[in-house]
This record gives sequence, C-alpha cells and structure tokens, in this order.
Amino acid sequence: MSATATDTVRAEKPQGVPGGGRPSGPRGPGPNAFTSGQLPRFVELYTLGVALLLSGAVFALIGFSIAGCLVTAALIYLVGIGVLSTVVENRRKATDRVVRSLVMIAFLLAMIPLVSTLATVVDHGWASMTWQFITGTGGSVFDPATLKVTVVQGALQAIVGTLIITGIAALISIPIGILTAIYLVEYAQPSQWMPRTVTFLVDVMTGIPSIVAGLFAFALATLIVGPKAFSGFSAAIALSVLMIPIVVRSTEEMLKLVSMDLREASFALGVTKFATIVKVVLPTAIAGIVTGVMLAISRVIGETAPIFIAASFTDNFNANPFGGAMQTLPVMVYTGYKFPSSDIAVSYQSAWGAALLLVLLVVVLNLIARIVARIFSPKGLR
Amino acid sequence: MKFTHATAVGAVALATALALSACSGGASGSGTPDAATTKDSAVDYGSLKGTITAGGSSAQANAQAAWTAAFQAQASGVTVDYDKSQGSGGGVTNWLNGSYDFAGTDAGLADEQQTEAKANCGPDGALNLPVYLSGVAIVYNLPGVKLQLSSATVAKIFSLKITTWNDPAIAADNPGQSLPASAITVVSRADGSGTTANFTGYLHDVQPSIWTYPVSTAWPVKGTSGQQGGSGIVNTVTAGTGTIGYADHSSIGTATAAAIQVGTGTDFVEYSAAGATNAFGAAATATPQTKGDLLQKIDYAKITSTDAYPIPLLSYDVVCTTFKDSAQAKLTAAYLGFVASKTGQDVAAKNAGSAPLPEKIQQDVAASLKLIK
Amino acid sequence: MTDNTTARPPLTSNAARSGDSDRGPGALKPGAGTSRASARPGDAVFRWLSTGSAASIMVILAGVALFLIIKALPAIGANWSTNPDLSGGTTAGNASFWQYVAPLIWGTLWSSLIALVLGAPVAIGIALFISHYAPRRLANVLGYLVDLLAAVPSVVFGLWGIFVIRPFIIPFQDWLNEFFGWIPLFAGPVSRTGSTLLAGGIVLAVMILPIITSISREIFLQTPRLHEEAALALGATKWEMIRLAVFPYARSGIVSATLLGLGRALGETMAIALIISPSLIFSVKLITDSANSQTIAANIALNFPESNPLQRDALIATGLALFVISLAVNMVARLVVRRSSGAPRRSRKDRA
Repeated sequence: MSATATDTVRAEKPQGVPGGGRPSGPRGPGPNAFTSGQLPRFVELYTLGVALLLSGAVFALIGFSIAGCLVTAALIYLVGIGVLSTVVENRRKATDRVVRSLVMIAFLLAMIPLVSTLATVVDHGWASMTWQFITGTGGSVFDPATLKVTVVQGALQAIVGTLIITGIAALISIPIGILTAIYLVEYAQPSQWMPRTVTFLVDVMTGIPSIVAGLFAFALATLIVGPKAFSGFSAAIALSVLMIPIVVRSTEEMLKLVSMDLREASFALGVTKFATIVKVVLPTAIAGIVTGVMLAISRVIGETAPIFIAASFTDNFNANPFGGAMQTLPVMVYTGYKFPSSDIAVSYQSAWGAALLLVLLVVVLNLIARIVARIFSPKGLR
Repeated sequence: MKFTHATAVGAVALATALALSACSGGASGSGTPDAATTKDSAVDYGSLKGTITAGGSSAQANAQAAWTAAFQAQASGVTVDYDKSQGSGGGVTNWLNGSYDFAGTDAGLADEQQTEAKANCGPDGALNLPVYLSGVAIVYNLPGVKLQLSSATVAKIFSLKITTWNDPAIAADNPGQSLPASAITVVSRADGSGTTANFTGYLHDVQPSIWTYPVSTAWPVKGTSGQQGGSGIVNTVTAGTGTIGYADHSSIGTATAAAIQVGTGTDFVEYSAAGATNAFGAAATATPQTKGDLLQKIDYAKITSTDAYPIPLLSYDVVCTTFKDSAQAKLTAAYLGFVASKTGQDVAAKNAGSAPLPEKIQQDVAASLKLIK
Repeated sequence: MTDNTTARPPLTSNAARSGDSDRGPGALKPGAGTSRASARPGDAVFRWLSTGSAASIMVILAGVALFLIIKALPAIGANWSTNPDLSGGTTAGNASFWQYVAPLIWGTLWSSLIALVLGAPVAIGIALFISHYAPRRLANVLGYLVDLLAAVPSVVFGLWGIFVIRPFIIPFQDWLNEFFGWIPLFAGPVSRTGSTLLAGGIVLAVMILPIITSISREIFLQTPRLHEEAALALGATKWEMIRLAVFPYARSGIVSATLLGLGRALGETMAIALIISPSLIFSVKLITDSANSQTIAANIALNFPESNPLQRDALIATGLALFVISLAVNMVARLVVRRSSGAPRRSRKDRA
C-alpha cells in the first residue's frame, strides 16, 4: 500500500509540482494525488484573518485608524499569501494568487468611492423627493402684504430642459458618430488623407474643455440668429461637440473587435457591404456600441458650463429649444450650491434633490439602453 | 427661515396654484389681491408683456430673484431671466453685445466701456444705476470667541503678516478673550469677484501702508486657501477651525461675522442694514459719466461714525438710454423702476438681506429711468 | 480607390457585379437576394452617408479650431506688460502669454497624471474582475453599478469631494507629511482645509474610473473564448491565461480607454474648480493649500465671468493650448499602440 502511495506521489512530480506531496503514512487515507502540492482550499480566508488580526494588534498599539488598519492588513495578506504559495506550491501559482488578490483589492477599492458617492447623493437628496418637487416647476410666490418671497422647490423645468437638450444633442451626435466610426473601420484605407485627418481631429476633440465648446456653440448661434441667441438648441450643439469624439472612439474600437471571419463569411454568401455592416457587424458590436453611447450621454448630461454660456440661466419653465433660456438638472445643482438663496439649507436641499434626480434619470436611460442592446444583439452572443 | 416638513407641505399646497399660474405666464393674477398698494408709479404692470434677459453680478443674485418673483407676481405677462453665473465682467460683455437688456455689475462701467456702449445705446450712452447695497462680512470660525478686529489687524491677517490667533495685535483688539495658539487659515476667492474688489478697495483706502496690494477682482495675496464662490468661502470657514474669510453678508447664513473697527478709535461695529445705508451716505460721491448717470465713487476712509458699517458693498444695474425696441425699453424701465422703488428695496431687504438704498438715491434712479426710450 | 491589402474584404462592387448569377441555394434571403437590384444604390447611399458624417466632423472641428484661433490671437500677440486690460486681475504680473500659460500646462498634465496613476490600474483591475473573476450574475450587477458612477455629474463629484473627501483626507495628509515629508511631493505646509491636489486627484481618479472600466470590460469580454480555453488547456494559471490571451488582444482597446479617461481628466472643470485651492505656479506638492498648480480648464471656469474681453481671449488661448496637449498625448499613445502591436491587427486575426 505504501509503495503504491509513494509511487503515485512520485508520478505527480513530472506534471510540474516541484513542491512535492506530503510523505504518505501506512495508516489512514494516503495523500490525495490531486491536491498534493497545493495549499488547502480556504487558505486565502485564513491568511486574510491572520492579516487582519496582526494589523489590528499593531494599530491597537500605535493608535487606531480604520484606513491604516485595512491597508496594513491588505499588505500583510499579499505578502503572506505570496510567500506561502511560493514555498508550498510554485512561483507561477503564487503569482496567480497574488494577482487574484490584487484584482479583488482593486475592486473593493473602487467600490468604496462608488458606494460613498451614491450614498451621499441618496442620503442628501432623498428628503427632496416629493411629488411636488418632481412634477412642479420651481418658482417663487410673492406675498404683497408681508413682502415675503417664498421659494417653491420644483425640478420639472430642469428635468424637461435636460431631456430636451440632451435629446437633441444625442440625435445629432449618435448618428454622426456611429457612421463616422463605420467609415473609419469599414470603408477607409489607413493610407488615405481623410481617415487620418478625421482620426487626428477626433483625438484633438477629446480634450476640449466644455466651456470652450459652449463658447463655440454660442458664437455659432449668434452668427445665425443674432445677439440674443440663448437657447436650448445652442446648448445642444455644444454638447454634441463634446459627445462626438467619445462615440466615434468607442464605436471604432468595438467595430475593430468584430472578427474578420464574420464579415468574410457574410461576403462569401453574397451579402452586400451595406447589409453586412447593418445586419452582421453592428449587431455583433451593439453591446459595446451602446456602452460607448451611454458613456457619452452620461458625460454630457452632467455638464454645466456650456449650458450657462449657451442657454443662459432661468428658473422658468421653457420647453421650446429655440426660444430663450433653459435650465437643466446639473445647472440646478450648481446654482443651488454656488448661489444659494438667503435660506442656504433649502437651496442645498434642492441642489441635492436635483443631483439625485439626475442620477435616477441616467439609471433609467442606462436600463433602456441595455434593453435595446439585448433586443438587437444576435442570439447566443451572451 | 427653516421650514419643517409639515409647514413645507402646507405652504407648498397653498403656493402650488399661485406658483403655477405665475410661472406659466398664465392670465390670472389671483395671488395678488392688493396689487394697488405695492405699485409705486403710474406704470400699469398688468399690461406689460415680454421677456427681459439680463445677467451679471452674483452679489445681486438673491435680490434679483426676489425682485423677479415680486415683479412677475404683479406683471404676469412678463418673464425676467437674470443669469447670475456670468459675473460682472461677463454680464457687461454680454450687454455690450446686445444679448442682455441690462447687466448687473459691482464696479460700474469703466470709461472705455461707456464709450463702447454709445455704439449700442445711442449718443446719450448708458446709465449706471445703483440698485443693491450690502456689506462685506469677515466670517471666522473660532468656537467660544467673539471677535472684534481693527482695520490694521484685518489688513495684517489677510496679507498673511499675522499668522497665529494669539498674536498681540488680535489680543489687543479683544481684551479679556482667550485666543488659541493655532495657525490662522485665510480663505479667499479663487474666482474673480466684485466682493474681492470691494474688500481690497476698503483695505487699500483705510490701511494703505499695510495693504500694498492692488485693488482688483482677483485676490492678490499668494498663500491663502482659494475657494470657488462666496458659498465656497462660507463652507470652508464653517467646516474648518481657525479659519477666516470674507463674503457678502447676505450669503453667510449661520456663520459668525466679526465686528469691525470704524474710523480710528476703539469702536467696533457689526453689520446691520441701517449701517450699510449710512455708510453709503458717508462714503459715496457721485461721478456721473453721462447725463442721468449715477455712478458713485466710494472712499472707505470717509466712514467714521459709529452708526455706519465700515465695509459697504454697492452694485449697479447698467442700462442703455436708447433701446432699439421701444417696447423693450418700457419693459426694462418698468422693472428697474420697481427694483429701485421703496417696495422693491424693502423686498430685497426682507428676502435677500440687503440694505435699502438711501431715499435720495431711490428718487435719483426713478428720475434717471425717465430718460430711457 | 484600390484595395491593396490582402486582409481587406472583397469590394462590394464585386459582389454586386455578379448580378443574378449566384442566386443559388446558398444565397441569403431578403437582404441580399431579393433586393439585389436595389442593393447597389443602397450600398452607395450608405457609403456616402458614412463618408459624409466623417466629412461633417471635419467641418465642425475645423470650425471649432478656427473659432478658437481667431479669438485667441489678439491675446497671444498683445504686449502683456503694457496692455492695461491684461495688467490687472487674473492675468496680472505676466510678461507674455507663454509665461501665463506655462504653469497652467504643467498643472493640467500633473493633475491628470495623478488621476491616471491612481485610477487607471484600479479601473483595469475592476474590468478584469468583472470579466474574468466574478461570478456571472455578480458581474452583471457590478457592470451596472460602475456605469452608474459614470452617471454622476461632475458638479456632484465636486460637492462630494468638498463634503466627504476633504475632511477625510486631512489626517492622511498629516501622516504623509510626518513620515514622507522629505519627498518633495509631500512637503510643505499641510493644508488645514483639505483643498489639495491629492483630494482633487482622488476625485478625478474616481471620475475617470467608469470610462476606463466600461470600455476595458467590453473589450475583455470580447476575447475569443477559444484562445482563452487553449491557454488553460496548456496548463496556464488564470493570470497567465489573461496575460497570454486577453491582454495582447485588448492592448489597443485599453490604450483607447485610458486615453478617453485621460481626455476627461484633462478637460475636467467643475470638480477641480470646486475642490482645489489654486495657484499659478509650477509645483509638485500634493498636500498644501497654497502650492497647488492650477489646471487650464478650471482656470477658465473660475476667471471667465469676471474677465474683460481681452482676458477672455487669453483664457480661450489657454483652451487652445489644452487642445494641443490632448493632441500630443493622443498621438504618443497611438504611436505606442502601433509600435507594440506590430503587424496590423486584421491580418493577425484568426486562422481558426
């Protein structure tokens, strides 16, 4: 029995387990050939526990701080698991374990600000979420007897303004952006001057400060309409200038990732290029394209400076994109914070409420986008 | 004024119908039963129609919001949009381009701007009309200490010549109070601001030997903590300890403001609306650029009596004498007339914390407005 | 227009030209088959649409660039020491435009670098986690959550930075200064308000995280499964599999994602303007109030309202400088991608 057990152990070695197994004994079950040379299953949890204890002890001595404790625990854990794994298993497995831990740490690290931000917004904004706030226009009421102006909190004008301005911007930039990406990937030769110029210009555009886009849009509108050119449409132009590079860039990447096989198979079957692009390439890449589009929309829906410059400022309800100033949710947040009324707490309250509404709005848009992606995505592709 | 949730619901329920009718520019003025008592001139507010587009100084922001609400309640066919994000400079630039009907500015028009305005406003140029009066508050956060500051100490603190709270100069101003030994953190404006211009003007007039920096909208001293907006200063001061900063008094909320020495004696004055009005009377000299213009020059060194607050802040609305569209002229003149009227000034005082303009100025503004055509 | 690389798909005109002759049993239904006669015009129309979109982008951008140059030239060419408009306010004390803009360029690059160093590795780590390490359902939920972060407007990030990050970071800054104060990064009078480049850098990193993560995640998910499984079958550990199969495939995409994130960091206005206490100096200090280099975009936002027209032109000129910076960064990155990926990606794709 022992002979066969050691034989089995020795037979494991050529498969790259230099650490070797434990010596077998005459009594009881022999070492399991599949798990010899490996760390036990829950070693990571145990190491984590030990690391936490150690760092807790250290900090109990030198003065407690949660962040320091966690960081030290993470460091101890990484070093510990790396060393343990190198000794018992082999270098490659050790690297694998350490990388897995690093990735988990990165994830947790990112979750903290994410949760913190969302928690802050929800925590501060929840108190504003009344039916009146969402469906009522903000405004004021003047009592001529006492001369008191009472501010009524309402976000409807901002919600409508956001939807109109972002909607027009999306309508302009999404088709242009996707078609340009299609041109760059499907039709253009890298040696021609046009795709190189377009790529160059898109690169340049990614760095445009939003205030400059607003200035450009307002100047353009002034050329067309005259001096009083504040309007939702001018703001939408500014936002498109900001959106287009993101859409083009991300769509281009996604289209490049579609395997050449699919295209060639489609052509081999006699499908025209147009139909190939529309029915084969785009649906394959649709999930990624939708992500890119949603990123672009999320980026511009939260802009304030171009709206100020191109659509001026107002508290009044305005649903005409070509007629006068319009307010959006991020502008409402910004003005509530930077220019509070004499009742500062109420202004801040209104600002956080608008922020929460904006986040909710984008969540809804995101969900719609994902549904769209799932509808158009080919079956069997996740 | 803080609303509890219940009061808010009640007020909101009452106000909804009125607000909606006011804001949608609807016909009924049902929320204003005693319109007659609040109108000051023979202007028939009810017959006015149109939109006034304006913008500029953010110091006037709350006052403009109150004026807009009160005016729109009576002239329900009128919409007033005042953009407070543009700042005085931006407001004047947009107004010179013709995008605004009037601009709010803390400094009034410079001579070159007045010349440039003549191209747009006709040969009679533009009018600087004082509409908003407040004061610069020195806010601080030192729990347990009620601060009094002489002008020399203020100048030294803000030019970073004094760096700790228990400095002998501060102790001399505050006999009997125990001051901590911690460092002073000076908070200033990172963005350009008319409040900065007023404050540096005060320091320059009153303590020229200590404050050798220029008067400017950009904070000139390096090494302070720069924050965006007056609310940024107020937030940072209240969030830290041992912090001190300056802001328009109407925007400080619950932060504590120091009492400032007036004149050269040992009198320290806290801010009050009457104090600002009296300070204006003492310090302002009229320096008109054109006929009917009410531009003032403020000499802070002239404020010496104890019923005046030493750091007043004045803001103007600039408007053309000749409009391209006479209906727009009538509309804008009506609005500005309301703004400068006794009722308008009281509305701003009550809702925005400003000080009412002296009576004489109110009458001067009304007279100047008659020049607008 | 000729196609001269073997990896190119056959020209549509070939397929179209073959007319009715290949209407055989294998021919596709509706799109290609029955509408063959209208496929040619449809094809041409679509081609012109795409080319037209690309052309219109060129026009828009040329317009923006022209607008900026026209507005900026007066300020660049003016004599900064003697011009009365430029000698007061925010532009005071500079002998020329270049003296004004140089610290701003430094500040922009420095703050973006910090954001990238803090944010990019974490973002790629999360993307990797979502695509390869997390259980499927958790991965979907996490994907939503990270996209949610992209939904938060920059003003809100600024407010979050002011109310949450600033007070949180003050003890950490004290600790850094105490133990590492000899490094120039952590030197200097430590801020008591938290309005530091470190706080701003952290918020900026959080802001660019969702962009980099989302795009990287999509790219990682597109790795051909065959490649991954082949690597695993050869005995590679998970990390080795990722290194062998995923990263080479995703390299250009990661660079693009990082560039988009960098683009956002370079142009970020509100968050920096709200959080950081600015100075127009060259500085590497991270934890002070008084020695934070200012960025171009935040400088424009802060000073635009109170500027006279010539100062506005100067600010627009700094915006032009920002253009040039992002162009340079993008070009460097594209060079890196081209250099490291060797032969064009297309011809390498698949012999499977």
